[in-house]
Amino acid sequence: MSGKLLSIKGLRIHDRAGNRLVDGVSLELYDDEFVGIVGESGSGKSLTARALLHAVPSGLSVHYDEYEVFNQQIASLADQKKRELIGKKIGFVPQNTIAFLHPFLKVKQQIGDGYQYHFKKGKHESLKKAKELLKKVGIQDPERVLNAYPFELSGGMKQRVQIASALMTDPELIIADEPTTALDTVHQRQVMNLFSDLNQKEQIPILFISHDLHIIRKYCQRVYVMHNGKIVESGPTEKVFTHPEHEYTKTLIASTLFLTETGTVQ
Amino acid sequence: MHKLKANRTFILGIIFVSIVVGLCFISFLYLPHDPNKMNTTERFLMPNPEYLLGTDQFGRDIFSRIMVSTRYALLVGIVSVTAGAIVGITLGALAGIAQKFLQSLIMRIIDGLMAFPGMLLALMFVAVLGKGLGNAVLAIAIFMIPSFARLAYSLVIDQKNELYVKAARSLGANRWYIVRKHILPAMLPRLITQWSSSIGSAILLESSLSFLGLGVQPPNASLGLMLSEAQQFTLTNPYIAIPPGIVLVIAILGFNLIGDGLNDSIVERRSAK
Amino acid sequence: MIRYIIKRLFSGLVVLFIVSFITFYILSIIPGDTALMRLGTEATPELVAQLRASMGLDLPWYERYIHWIGAFLRGDWGESLVFGEDVFTLILQRLPVTITLAALSLLIAIPIATIMGVVSAIYQNRWIDYVARTLMQIGEAVPQFWLALIFLVVFAGQLGWFPVAGYVPFEEGMLDSLHSLLLPAIVISFGLIGILIRIIRSSMLTALQQDFMLMPKVNGLPGKTAIFKYAFRSALIAPVTTVMMQLAGLLTGTVLVESIFALPGIGRLLLVAVEQRDILLLQGLVMFITATVVLINFLADILYRFINPLIRLGGEESA
Repeated sequence: MSGKLLSIKGLRIHDRAGNRLVDGVSLELYDDEFVGIVGESGSGKSLTARALLHAVPSGLSVHYDEYEVFNQQIASLADQKKRELIGKKIGFVPQNTIAFLHPFLKVKQQIGDGYQYHFKKGKHESLKKAKELLKKVGIQDPERVLNAYPFELSGGMKQRVQIASALMTDPELIIADEPTTALDTVHQRQVMNLFSDLNQKEQIPILFISHDLHIIRKYCQRVYVMHNGKIVESGPTEKVFTHPEHEYTKTLIASTLFLTETGTVQ
Repeated sequence: MHKLKANRTFILGIIFVSIVVGLCFISFLYLPHDPNKMNTTERFLMPNPEYLLGTDQFGRDIFSRIMVSTRYALLVGIVSVTAGAIVGITLGALAGIAQKFLQSLIMRIIDGLMAFPGMLLALMFVAVLGKGLGNAVLAIAIFMIPSFARLAYSLVIDQKNELYVKAARSLGANRWYIVRKHILPAMLPRLITQWSSSIGSAILLESSLSFLGLGVQPPNASLGLMLSEAQQFTLTNPYIAIPPGIVLVIAILGFNLIGDGLNDSIVERRSAK
Repeated sequence: MIRYIIKRLFSGLVVLFIVSFITFYILSIIPGDTALMRLGTEATPELVAQLRASMGLDLPWYERYIHWIGAFLRGDWGESLVFGEDVFTLILQRLPVTITLAALSLLIAIPIATIMGVVSAIYQNRWIDYVARTLMQIGEAVPQFWLALIFLVVFAGQLGWFPVAGYVPFEEGMLDSLHSLLLPAIVISFGLIGILIRIIRSSMLTALQQDFMLMPKVNGLPGKTAIFKYAFRSALIAPVTTVMMQLAGLLTGTVLVESIFALPGIGRLLLVAVEQRDILLLQGLVMFITATVVLINFLADILYRFINPLIRLGGEESA
């Protein structure tokens, strides 16, 4: 662990009725890390990710004591600077179940938007880069995919497109929100291997949000456990999984069967 | 039961409608002047203590005439929409629960009625039945049928797929029982919303027909008719076109706002779930 | 797509058939005998019977319907009682005025309503939204005929910007002709603006809440890109069809304005037919207008499917 890339302190999110959806979350991310946030749906983990991206759904109010990304205090930045910093340097891979790609735009009409804006590049260059990245994420015929509408792509394909799209701006950090939900096991493994490669070969730190304990345990070095809008436990993954301290973590782990590499139940 | 959040649209609508309903009620108890009494020496008077809103081209008291007019506006609005709603909802609900053949027969007829835009159907009925208040009510009621039928049909179809309805059906409940006990109560908020906004359109339609001389007949007073009679004098005495028009707008706006306000709270309540 | 068009065409024809039947049925129960009306009250019973027979009025209703619809399809729409002219020719003569009037009103209403609707959705619950919503409510609630009277008094009477009434035919000068239609068109567009703001605003609000609006946000794109490229694309599909349907409604929506401004269009013709109980003229007009409505609805449906790639390419069969 060396440099601190991202740190947020005391994140609170309320809805209009005043319900606390996220209640005082603090977390940090360091160079080269693969960090997981685990929790059931409704625990506030997705909202936390959205807050880090400054893209919380309208109607919710967000407060934090301190939010620092790449050594810059977000609160002190002007709106445009904030947008450019986060939009360019943080790549976001969303849930596959959400219609995140615009349904009426072909892939090539939307994949390069961030790149063209932040790097002041033209369509031609952005398409070239998109093609390279699509190949990199394992798409054999990028030409066809670029010319397709999102609904013409399979789930696994769409998720690769979204990963490629997140990589367009050469992000220094990736936040992934349940990127493998609704994918079958084969595609799940392929997508996870992609993340793993990005982390290990290209040294891109990843903040990985999931309810899937297997995936978290296999890939993450460190983990935050969220429950009812709070972080109830955190630490190195193996320590949390083998010696859970909080009641909730214990229940969570007890309710899941873990298969070791050899196939026996642990 | 959620408490209906009082929204501003709704309250404004209630205020406007209350003004019109208030004028209507008072007209039965007290009228400042005989609304039909002509007085050639006091034509085109501007508002004064004697005639609060002035007098028209025949020297009749505009305020009294407006008060009497609100009776027709509300009568036509409420009666025709309610009648149209009952027939329309019955047809739509019937189509919703009927077998395929009956369902498509009813809905095609509704589609056919829908193809008559705006006033066309009303005009056609007036041509057949003749001018006058009663025929205008009938024409407007028929005009209201398709929109209620469409709404009821789609609501019934939606409801049919709801789990609790499916559950009731699998328990062997009779179709009409399910409609009465489960489907109709769930539909009610949307139907009331539609009912309220439709009254606004019905008042507009009545005033339009009366303006064309096809609705309420003279010497009776209707807001549309008052404006129609004022028409040839507007260039020389523009004032007489103002008060009836404003009351008409208040009446239509009131019912529309109530409908919108109710709709907003339905949407809000649904998204809050 | 082709299969859909054929299916849709077929259901359009069914609706037209039902419409023709409704029209025929309603107008055949009209009190008073068409034959009697034509001959006047002086006619002898024999003469009436003779004419009834020659007009086919003594046949059973279904034979009369078949007879009528057959003549209709052949373009023989009968002769107007009031004008003594061929109904079809009469309609064609009056059509240009109404179409110009409708087109002009849409031309005024669409840009204003689009801007207001979009802006009010973006700035929901801010002052500009209240302005747009007030305009929407007033546009929907103010009766056309009252607005026409007020505008006449102010713009034609007091200010003298427009002629008080009357229509200048195209032949007498394109600009003068448009000028004579401008004030009526403004009156009609007022109501249209109300309806269109409502539709565009709600469509835009829906689009802004969609998941795909997250993409430009997390990519740090400026707000205007998000709105113009992402939200617009899906928000403006539904209103396109609504605008087309409004166009169909305008064929009769001009009755009041044409009557106040003395414009020789379809609306005026319809009013004459209703007032004078000119049955053949009324039948012709009703059939013409409803057929246009059915046709436009059909085209709007096809257009909707065409501009929506989801449906065009068979992605989803949802609306």
